Amino acid sequence: MAPSRYVGYLAFFAASLLPSGILALWPVPTTLETGMSALKVSPSFYFDVQVEGAPADLYEAVGQAQCYLETDKLGRLVVGRGATDTTALASAKTLSCLKLSLTSGATAEPIASEAVKPLGTRSEEYALTIPADGSTATLTANSTLGLYRGLTTFNQFFYYYGGVTYTLLAPIAITDTPAYPYRGLGLDTSRNYYPVTDILRTLDAMSWVKINTFHWHITDSQSFPLEVARYPDLAMNGAYSSQEIYTESDIQYIVQYAGSRGIDVLLEIDTPGHTAIIGTSYPDYVACFDATPTPYEPPAGQLRFALPEVMDFTASLLVDVAKTLPSYYFSTGGDELHTDCYADDYPTQQQLNSTGTTLNDALNTFTQTTHGALISAGKTPVVWEEMVLDWNVTLSNETIVMVWISSEDALAVAERGFRIVQAPSNYFYLDCGAGEWLGADPTGNSWCDPFKTWSKAYTFDPLANLTEAQYKLVLGGEQILWSEQSGPQNLDPIVWPRAASSAEIFWSAKQPSGAALNVTEALPRLHDVRYRMVQRGLNPIPLQPHWCALRPHACDLYA
Amino acid sequence: MAPSRYVGYLTLFAGCLLPSGVLALWPVPTTLETGITALKVSPSFYFDVQVEGAPADLYEAVAQAQYYLENDKLGRLVVGRGVNDTTLLASAKTLSSLTLSLTSGANAKPIASEAVKPLGTRREEYALMIPADGSTATLTANSTLGLYRGLTTFNQLFYYYGGVTYTLLAPVAITDAPAYPFRGLGLDTSRNYYPVADILRTLDAMSWVKINTFHWHITDSQSFPLEVAQYPELAMNGAYSAEEVYTESDIQYIVQYAGSRGIDVLLEIDTPGHTAIIGTSYPDYVACFGATPWLQYTNEPPAGQLRFALPEVMNFTASLLVDIAKTLPSYYLSTGGDEVNTNCYANDYATQQQLNSTGMTLSDALDVFMQTTHGALMAEGKTPIVWEEMVLDWNITLSNETIVMVWISSENAVAVAERGFRIIQVPSDYFYLDCGAGESLGDYPSGNSWCDPFKSWSEAYTYDPLANLTEAQYELVLGGEQMLWSEQSGPENLDPIVWPRAASSAEIFWSSKQPTGAALNVTEALPRLQDMRYRMVQRGLDPIRLQPKWCALRQNECDLYA
Repeated sequence: MAPSRYVGYLAFFAASLLPSGILALWPVPTTLETGMSALKVSPSFYFDVQVEGAPADLYEAVGQAQCYLETDKLGRLVVGRGATDTTALASAKTLSCLKLSLTSGATAEPIASEAVKPLGTRSEEYALTIPADGSTATLTANSTLGLYRGLTTFNQFFYYYGGVTYTLLAPIAITDTPAYPYRGLGLDTSRNYYPVTDILRTLDAMSWVKINTFHWHITDSQSFPLEVARYPDLAMNGAYSSQEIYTESDIQYIVQYAGSRGIDVLLEIDTPGHTAIIGTSYPDYVACFDATPTPYEPPAGQLRFALPEVMDFTASLLVDVAKTLPSYYFSTGGDELHTDCYADDYPTQQQLNSTGTTLNDALNTFTQTTHGALISAGKTPVVWEEMVLDWNVTLSNETIVMVWISSEDALAVAERGFRIVQAPSNYFYLDCGAGEWLGADPTGNSWCDPFKTWSKAYTFDPLANLTEAQYKLVLGGEQILWSEQSGPQNLDPIVWPRAASSAEIFWSAKQPSGAALNVTEALPRLHDVRYRMVQRGLNPIPLQPHWCALRPHACDLYA
Repeated sequence: MAPSRYVGYLTLFAGCLLPSGVLALWPVPTTLETGITALKVSPSFYFDVQVEGAPADLYEAVAQAQYYLENDKLGRLVVGRGVNDTTLLASAKTLSSLTLSLTSGANAKPIASEAVKPLGTRREEYALMIPADGSTATLTANSTLGLYRGLTTFNQLFYYYGGVTYTLLAPVAITDAPAYPFRGLGLDTSRNYYPVADILRTLDAMSWVKINTFHWHITDSQSFPLEVAQYPELAMNGAYSAEEVYTESDIQYIVQYAGSRGIDVLLEIDTPGHTAIIGTSYPDYVACFGATPWLQYTNEPPAGQLRFALPEVMNFTASLLVDIAKTLPSYYLSTGGDEVNTNCYANDYATQQQLNSTGMTLSDALDVFMQTTHGALMAEGKTPIVWEEMVLDWNITLSNETIVMVWISSENAVAVAERGFRIIQVPSDYFYLDCGAGESLGDYPSGNSWCDPFKSWSEAYTYDPLANLTEAQYELVLGGEQMLWSEQSGPENLDPIVWPRAASSAEIFWSSKQPTGAALNVTEALPRLQDMRYRMVQRGLDPIRLQPKWCALRQNECDLYA
């Protein structure tokens, strides 16, 4: 079969007609040309790293890509899983090599260094060409991070049947670049703890779909699993047990593991709310500690942010933690601060009275103290939307705001001129729909019911309601798992493959044809990446009966 | 501390006051007396099986109990996980053995034989006594099955801290018997396949909470993973792959594994609907096979139902059901009968021709079909089980012995009871484990789970199996089960989507009330369920978390109005 080339749209069209035409890339690349020739991967296939001064983590990435190429062994999602491809494969050419190189002038830095550069300065784009005639495939990029993204794409092309690893879509030409710089996944490790291995596995899965930020909500009111050198009592008294702690070396290992997979670790130490557990070490610093009844989730307790010693403690804590991390970003939280907690809190009221300030004034001072300290340490603060929408506090223009309460709230944040990370609960909260978890409430329901399916999440429009001038404020977004009802036991199935939805929204933003993303087009590709995840040892939920996965669109509503 | 005895209610009350008072049995036994004395398990603890002619599976059960006793290593769910117990334990007496015996006159048969007796004739009751002074504990029952249930309870009494396995509740006196004979868990292995190992693990977990029936919805329209010797083509063409088949030896292994854990395997071959995949082997037997738009012919794709009006299809189905049922020790087999779509037959030439030539209606033909298939099963000594539509939506004659599963709504039990049939409660509005996972159909992002929302353990736990029934109808309720339909499930999420939620119905149908006589209550139950859930984790299962661990360590502090 002679090589032929199609623009993306035609390739998609062909995909509907031809068994050979399954296109399984996720997230789908910016431009894409594919043919209809079969091409086998040679048993002696190798990655040819033509990168001067290539860093160790690039070689590790290549080693990983080689491993996936050899061990994914994913059968095509068609009836027969590729049995009918053997004829085409009999006469297919063989691909022996993929050459990796940087564009001229680019210098080879570690992937882990490229991955933690400031948002907007990371170079994730790449170009990938796979000829149909068996000649060397090429991957070029402006950075090792771009090469890493290209390797991820390369691995998604290949299927396996009867001892042969192959594609039916040669020749292939891709140029690809992310639509948004921030593509995250959020995880709460305070309500319930996750062993380090679960986090590493999650980072692997994130890298497969080009997610580049691990938003780690590491502490909350229930437990403080983070070891901080200068404040060891926080974890000693605040972790669920001495085994349920992320030590400093755990953190460094995770950060390095993430970085070498193109992922920045954005740590969140939520303040001044969501801090009850600090009261087990610093009872004087926490108001309404363990008070009942509590209007939000138990236990009650928030930092007495009005007190100068608490401001200083918090600033010092945040900076001490932030300093150990390569990321330019650090989240100080700021959500769900309830004022009731302070109404009868003697130290807070005494402080406010003696200084003649309001609670809001005090919060302003607190935030400026903590953020000022972070900014001095070279970190950009990230906050939840309430800090902008519910309180009158002065934030640096550089502050990044996470929208969570509703997708409707992005507009108000944009109107205040802040950059936005979209984490809207009504599309992106992975914990929704699991029922009420408070006791003594059998008729209760998940506060953000229903469950956000992959397709519901996929229909999120990150620019909805914004003016064109505001578009640039949207840095990206993330799905997030709050862990009241989750732990290592269900981490994989509750996160995957759903978290891939936002990964595509913020990498691809649209189809290669220019058309809007579309759930009907996307489902067969998502099935494919989900089945590949299973091959790699992850436990993502099945999206449909296997019968449907083998028959694209046969289980669509009106099929 | 001198041994003392309390009735159940006082113990529960003490539980709120004393760190020693954690009562973690699930399902909670019929009568329960506990003390407040610490008692350690001896490192040389042994089970003394004083059962004449004890069967091999009783010894296996004892070995398993010994294993759990040594390996559960569950810390008490209190802050510190038992660190405060060390003082008490320093002076505690040591328990060295548990004697197992049958009541006089009882015969020792294999647990697996006892577990598959007809409903209502199984002997699951037992009595368990653990003195506080370190003298021998005793477990007595009327059958090996009762002993098995007692061992399950025994294992739940012990915690671990600092190398010591112990209870703080000695002496313990329990008498226990199930309120309902049928306590099930349903699993659909057709929409997605589960390897045998996943089923075995699930059977283990079921046994921990005294569930006694594995309702195995093994085939459906999407795949036919069951190997049938006389009809090998059904799995050959209908399984998702050659690796995704339950072979005859798999089935026998699973049945034996279940039986030795006190579990009967109730297989369901759903007919005449939910059978599209049979069309890949017998295209002439299936109407509207693969027809589109599927929404006109079925509730979920692919379309296709047995042409039940055709004599050859009736005979084929009867023969298939009997061939399968014969290989199983259970007295029961489910023939399904849910969601028969009449539109599928409206334009089906083969069916219409048959109806016209015989002058029968579709309902008449279904009646003949049911009498043929059920008649064949009954001739083999099997009691048929059907879904509620066979009684409520169709006018067909069923044997009075037929057992009816209620699923569409908990409201429908009354109508089934009014027709005099025995009932298994599987109401989707309480017991469907798949609800709340969103829409699984493609091209439908605004869709939602048809039975939204998610049925939390506590929602399920509030189910009343006798609601709306008259007292005279109570005896018709054999029990019930929670059930996982697998459109959006597979081995990847089996444990977390089933556990610990499936323990809710296990307690409803075993305990039915608290030992005090009070109604089951979610607030009382949660700390016990947390305990059971954490024990499951210790045993390698992956149950979901019900709450933050902070709450699990502090009873009732995360209650809504705490």
